[in-house]
Amino acid sequence: MSGYLEGVLVLLAVNVVFAYGGFLPLAAGQLNLGLAGFAAIGAYTSAYLSNVFTLPPLLAIPLAGIAAGAVALVVAVPVLRTRGIYLALATFALGQIVQAIILNLQVVGGAAGYPVTAFIRFPTIAATAAIVVALVWLLFATRFGIAVTAVHDDERVADLMGIDVRAFQIAAFALGSAIAGIGGGLYAHHFSFIEAQYFNISLSITIVLYVLLGGTQTVIGPLLGAAVFTLLPEVLRASANWRYVAFAAALIVIMALRPEGLVTSAQLRRLLGFTRAEPDPAAVAAAVPKERAG
Amino acid sequence: MLGSIYAMVAVALTLSIGVLRFLNFSIPGLFMIGGMTAWASLRSGMSWPLAIGAALAAGAFASLVVERFTWRWMRSAQHFVPLVSSMAFLLLFEHLAVIYWGSELRTLPVLFPNADWRIAGLVISLPQLGGLVCSIALVWALTLVLARTRLGRGLRTIAEDSDTALLLGVDINRIVPVVFLISGLFAALAGVIFALNYRQVQPFMGEVVGLKGISAMIVGGMGNIWGSIAGGLIIGLVEVMSIGYFGADFVDIAVYGLLLLILFVRPTGLFAADFAGQRA
Amino acid sequence: MSASDQILRLEAVSKHFGGLRVIEDLSFAVKRGVRTALIGPNGAGKTTVFNLITGVFPVDAGRILLDGADITDTPSRLRIGYGIARSFQNIRLMPHLSTLENVMVGQHCRNGGVRGVLQPVNLVPHNRWRDAARAALADAGLIEYERATVGNLPYGVQKRIELVRALMAQPRLLLLDEPAAGLNPAETEALQDQLEKICAGGGLTVLVVEHDMHFVGALCEDVIVLDFGRKIAEGSPEDVRHNPLVQEIYLGAPAAEPMERHSARSA
Repeated sequence: MSGYLEGVLVLLAVNVVFAYGGFLPLAAGQLNLGLAGFAAIGAYTSAYLSNVFTLPPLLAIPLAGIAAGAVALVVAVPVLRTRGIYLALATFALGQIVQAIILNLQVVGGAAGYPVTAFIRFPTIAATAAIVVALVWLLFATRFGIAVTAVHDDERVADLMGIDVRAFQIAAFALGSAIAGIGGGLYAHHFSFIEAQYFNISLSITIVLYVLLGGTQTVIGPLLGAAVFTLLPEVLRASANWRYVAFAAALIVIMALRPEGLVTSAQLRRLLGFTRAEPDPAAVAAAVPKERAG
Repeated sequence: MLGSIYAMVAVALTLSIGVLRFLNFSIPGLFMIGGMTAWASLRSGMSWPLAIGAALAAGAFASLVVERFTWRWMRSAQHFVPLVSSMAFLLLFEHLAVIYWGSELRTLPVLFPNADWRIAGLVISLPQLGGLVCSIALVWALTLVLARTRLGRGLRTIAEDSDTALLLGVDINRIVPVVFLISGLFAALAGVIFALNYRQVQPFMGEVVGLKGISAMIVGGMGNIWGSIAGGLIIGLVEVMSIGYFGADFVDIAVYGLLLLILFVRPTGLFAADFAGQRA
Repeated sequence: MSASDQILRLEAVSKHFGGLRVIEDLSFAVKRGVRTALIGPNGAGKTTVFNLITGVFPVDAGRILLDGADITDTPSRLRIGYGIARSFQNIRLMPHLSTLENVMVGQHCRNGGVRGVLQPVNLVPHNRWRDAARAALADAGLIEYERATVGNLPYGVQKRIELVRALMAQPRLLLLDEPAAGLNPAETEALQDQLEKICAGGGLTVLVVEHDMHFVGALCEDVIVLDFGRKIAEGSPEDVRHNPLVQEIYLGAPAAEPMERHSARSA
């Protein structure tokens, strides 16, 4: 395929991974405005591992994701004691600090940026993105998904129902950060050059915005959001800056008219209802006679 | 001094949060609009008073656009929607600026040559002093408005309890745009003062400078106007000190590290008080 | 009455909010298997008692014992695991979960460990937890709503779903906060039948906060009366109805007859 098309598809795959990094905390009711910082941790750690220790990218990137997740775990305990707007601001401060620290780390180039030697092509990146999506989808098909949504909807009642609210919030936060780190690693090993200036608040905001555009009620939403953000401007042949203008404008309109985003859970249930496992007719029939008459 | 600029941005943010419970992320964007419009006006030959006027008008106008599209429609929706829309507006403003003016760093002409006072070995630049005096005067005026006028009373009532405000006959629909107007003016003016003093503007200056106003606001005490001033001055001081001890590259770490620390230890800020400054 | 007959006991419990003494030196016991009501005028502190029992607020003084075990300092999250489940005055179902998933939240205390959390309950065609939740919904006549968005369902249906959710925790003690509020007479009678049925085995004790005196008189065998955070009377519905203190606080309460008629019916 042409270099240009490959570039677009790689960007799509990376954005999809970033989207799921943003989706995890949002699904638990938290706004992580420091996503770019965790993406940076993933990018720089994987680049350092593959440059200096000559680890293959397919090893360096998951390790970097784990590193990003570990950092998130460490900061999660104090950060998640804050709530709502304070939480968003704490993650914002975190992202800014990470960016500032990297700017000062001469060992990875500092302000001049860091070239990455190893290179991965689109098929690898697409496969990684697909695995991330599949894993998140699987995760949300377990009781984890129900518990996290319960925490998002009503923390107090979730707690009374026996759900460990803090544990799930920390898990969602750390997992999301790890996924963002993997996205950063993928980005680093394809575009061959990373700089701290790229992993700024704009990036965090952009990711959060396209996740919200797609909708956080279902696992499909982030995928759709990333796709719309990446592909629609290509179709419309928009320049880099008009792309952001259009995207921001679209988001403002959508937040006004349909704040749940493009895909909602009710919609999805209706759409997919017929493919879900039908209740066992025998079991239901056996249960029904117990219903009181009238 | 940068501290007074941070203070003004912090005041703009605090006004929004205090009265509307809304973290207005577009304010760094309004800061940029103020600064860049001032530059663009000067470049096109306007005199500097007119340029400042144009910059303020642009900031006010942009702020009212934000009001129309974040607040009006969304009061009933989920709580984070206005915040998210304001973030989208930040992106919108930044990229429109790049499209319209290009992404390069732009320099302003020196407006007041030889306008430095030399007093006892200290060099005080007149524009900086002017900026400091201006911001302090304006914030003072704002607190007077809050304390003495009907508008101010309305704002304080809404800040305390919006339901009570409705019952007391405060016309929220007419006051809310005023809040946006004032915070937009403050943010734009901060941008103008920055532009005139540091003589450099670029479309992303809101992220580099304006966002630190958030740190100032939180450190000083969210929702408290005098706290924001104090916070701004503290952040300015922290910056100067960290440059002195650790070098210029460490500045952001110090400023945002302090923000994080305050959020962990004392989220209400160092000078926790209610909106108009009464002790909490 | 021996202590082992008591499923729940409050001893000298007090709770203040700022200067306001909401619960003052309150002591009462709920007997195992006995359908009990907690009544009192608005502001008497009934919902606060529920909040203290479930751990939403810590007590300022006193003890709470569940089946003899002191749960006064137990974190709220763990109390459902000890067998206390509740419903809420204002229905609190999760708006982003389907009916079935809401009911499955009730199972979490029984299936919430790491292995339980990672079970693909929504993926495989037959998972015993999902099947159990489905059976419970079918049992309550609600299976048709299993995939519905709870927010759009009628009020009475949502109340019944909340009850099923609480029952999924297999509690020993079920706290119901105004279960009959907002229900029409037919629904109220159906609720009464359902509660009588689930209590029949003796494994479940129900404590109900209610304003509907007809409902209380028909369903409950024991009544505790609260006013200003203190217990002012206790006994059978009939005893309580005749208590002059109770009559006084209910100033002009509805005529005595309806209660009598229903008590006769439930005898």
